[in-house]
Amino acid sequence: MPTRLQDTPLLVILSGIAAVLCLVPAAHGFMTGDDPTARGFLYSGLMLGLLVVMVALATSHRVPRLMPRSNLAALAGAYLLLPVAMALPVMQTVPDTQFANAWFEMLSAFTTTGATVYPDAGRLPPSVHLWRALVGWFGGLLILVAAFAILAPLNLGGIEVISGRVPGRSAMEGPQGSRNSDPSERIVRTALMIIPAYGGLTLVLWIGLMSFGAPALDALCIALSTLSTSGITAGTGVGVAGLGGEALVFLFLLFAVSRRAMPGPRFFEATRVWWRDPEGLAALVLLITVPGVLFLRHFLGGSPAGDEGDNPQGLRAIWGAVFTTLSFLTTAGFQSEAWSSARGWSGLGAPGLILLGLAIVGGGVATTAGGVKLLRVYALFRHSERELELIIHPHSVGGRGRGARLLRREGAYMAWIFFMLFATSIGLFVAVLTLIGVDFETALVLSVAALTTTGPLADVAAATPIAYAPLGNGVKLALGLAMIVGRLETLALLALVAPGSWRR
Amino acid sequence: MKVIVCGAGQVGWQIARHLSGERNDVTIVDVNADLVRRATETLDVQGVVGFASHPDVLARAGAQDADMIIAATHSDEVNMMTCQVAHSVFNVTRKIARIRAQNYLATEYADLYRADQLPIDVVISPEREVAEAALQRLAAPATFDTEVFMNGRAQLLGIMLDEDCPVLSTSLRQLNDLFPSLRAIVVGVRREDRLFAPEPGDQLLASDQIYVFTHSEDVNRCLEIFGKKTRRQERVVIIGGGNVGLSVARALESRTKIRVKIIEKNRICAERAADALERTIVLNGDGMDMDILMEAAIDRADAVLAVTDDDKTNLLVAVRAKQAGCAMAIALVNDPTLAPLMGPLDIDAYINPRATTVSSILRHIRHGRVRAIYSIGDAEAEVIEAQVLSTSPLSGRLVREVEFPEGVLVGALMKGDKVLKPTGDLRIDAGDVVALFAMAKDVPEVERLLQVSVEFF
Repeated sequence: MPTRLQDTPLLVILSGIAAVLCLVPAAHGFMTGDDPTARGFLYSGLMLGLLVVMVALATSHRVPRLMPRSNLAALAGAYLLLPVAMALPVMQTVPDTQFANAWFEMLSAFTTTGATVYPDAGRLPPSVHLWRALVGWFGGLLILVAAFAILAPLNLGGIEVISGRVPGRSAMEGPQGSRNSDPSERIVRTALMIIPAYGGLTLVLWIGLMSFGAPALDALCIALSTLSTSGITAGTGVGVAGLGGEALVFLFLLFAVSRRAMPGPRFFEATRVWWRDPEGLAALVLLITVPGVLFLRHFLGGSPAGDEGDNPQGLRAIWGAVFTTLSFLTTAGFQSEAWSSARGWSGLGAPGLILLGLAIVGGGVATTAGGVKLLRVYALFRHSERELELIIHPHSVGGRGRGARLLRREGAYMAWIFFMLFATSIGLFVAVLTLIGVDFETALVLSVAALTTTGPLADVAAATPIAYAPLGNGVKLALGLAMIVGRLETLALLALVAPGSWRR
Repeated sequence: MKVIVCGAGQVGWQIARHLSGERNDVTIVDVNADLVRRATETLDVQGVVGFASHPDVLARAGAQDADMIIAATHSDEVNMMTCQVAHSVFNVTRKIARIRAQNYLATEYADLYRADQLPIDVVISPEREVAEAALQRLAAPATFDTEVFMNGRAQLLGIMLDEDCPVLSTSLRQLNDLFPSLRAIVVGVRREDRLFAPEPGDQLLASDQIYVFTHSEDVNRCLEIFGKKTRRQERVVIIGGGNVGLSVARALESRTKIRVKIIEKNRICAERAADALERTIVLNGDGMDMDILMEAAIDRADAVLAVTDDDKTNLLVAVRAKQAGCAMAIALVNDPTLAPLMGPLDIDAYINPRATTVSSILRHIRHGRVRAIYSIGDAEAEVIEAQVLSTSPLSGRLVREVEFPEGVLVGALMKGDKVLKPTGDLRIDAGDVVALFAMAKDVPEVERLLQVSVEFF
């Protein structure tokens, strides 16, 4: 009897995809004549594939008790196990590296964090760079699909802010008792809807970047990591394609601001026009105020040393600030070439703390971005605005429709819970890291970088760049956990481990 | 004329009463047998118990030979369906339906009511008309009654004369000589509960309620002459956020810079109102509660508009608001017998939804080229705006030559788009629009004057 794809557990399917993806860098290696690397990827892929087929045969037709929740468990399992499998080819191809380093690298790519322990790009063969970017891209795709097919039915991943219902409990478990469509089918359907758009956009960006003069591999890596907001590059920064390339990347980063641009089901009322999109509005406000503050800072507190800069340099500084703001807001973590000139022009130190804050705010709900997410910030903002109104008119009734009211009340409540959980987890990981022996500032930056899945923060947020490579294995393990917590969101993990989900 | 009125509720009842009072053959249809029985006992109408849109019920009501059907049940959809059945099955020529939901009334969907679509000749919306009346009251705060005529170029003002009115004990003829350029004329006076059309020699006394027909540009001057100051209003509090309150607030929001606050008791209604409005602040609470009223800053408000569905609440809230320091109070009052209470309660103006609705329905019943009718008081008098046909006895004659009955006065004459004050030697030509004040007993005579004259045949 042929086994249907849907009947295979999700975790096995994901491992299978990882095995197939191994063939891409293998092909790249053979084409560029780097045979040892190519063989490493090919053999790892084949081994992994063999393993997956055996496990698939063993586990097919297993019927889990609670489908939506078992998929959530599979998602968490994917973040725990897949990086181990993905580290296999890295171990094979990168000379004298520790397994911990390879695992950390793969986990940070898969969670779209993009923190690298190989700062020296030349140490890795080009095919491995491709592999890192590809894993990040796969991680981004996974979270896009999961947001709708796994997290949304369980009222997680930002949906709880809109629905106002208890997170971690699916609507199907309601009193009506009617079972919705099979969650596995839902995953397949959503994936089929998203993959063409996600892949197509990547392809367009790749071609666009190449047309601006970037080398093919660099352009591909940037394209892959822009769409997945992982911020992984093949050594060269995003400025490799010039200002035009940066502008192009800027446009594609906007996909991480709101879910609106991607195909798939809609969260918000269909009638709402795009310029009233709450996340778009919030992002726009940040994109205007943050660079504005950075720009004005030059005039307010800038040292006279910056005055040698002429007008075009001022414009460059603005562009650098705008690009970097969006890039950290969407938790990608690219730095504009103009960013360093922006810092130099203002004559002041790196505004690392602002970037830290931006990364915590994060991108849109159900996008590849991490952080608290714009929608939650928006809900909290609307709530506080309403509370101020209530001080003047205690009996007043808020307007703007049912959805807005839900967002302000229950939504803001959920957002606040998440925000506190997020803050608590930052505190927790900072405590753990300082216990291991990292100094406080480094611990703070590293925790935020891992939890918001913005690896490059370590380079810019602290006064002196923090390197991941010299960190101890314990620190890497803790950061790895933080990345999973940040990627899956604390609420989802809580829903998974809460006693309520153990019951039948 | 044979008329079927569907729905014996507030509006249906009033229409039936009005029409039966004018010797029309009225049949009233309602599902509630009690209401129908009461209607047949109190009014000179026939009654049919049944669901208004069912063809057999309409057949029993005599729809085959009816000239008009007025669907005024509480359900918009039943009203629409009734008109459709009356059109398709019984071929009733004139169909009037009352539609409450604002959505059906939106201008972009006006095509819906074309003859080949949903055959409704006239859509009446009591809520909308009451809102319009409320806005007019707010715009002319010193009056107790207003209505617009002649495409907005003329206005009827009801003014209460105070002790300090400068023109007391002046005859109307003298008044005319004193202010020759004022395009206004006193058409009706209510003295000690009796309404009459004044003669030129009559004098005005304190506590008279007078009806003045004036050119729109002269409204403020006219009010000044009768001792009323026009205040600018900036803060308005509306009690009741239902259809009426919401329409008024919406209109105030879109037209003016007035800051509006709505107090609504029902949470769901309050939320609906809050959603529909942008700048208006909606408070959820009892309008009778002093705390809520103070939260709405009633003591600093320029006007309070009590438009809940309960007459007594409206009256009490209006009184309470005035006591708290609100400059002006307007109350919605359904029961016309409560009207005399306005003076003792110190309520500045009232809106009677029936009067406004009935006026708009009557417009379509009258013969000739009647363009507007406004019913004054408890149907004691009417102001009729009509186009003069070439066959009418009025056509081609001077105003003083026309033998108007005792209770009829000409308010204004519109030639082309110029509104003129009627003088004795003004000639009425065919095509002119004339506004006549007529006591109820003289309405048939006015109708005769406006109709095709006998010599025509």
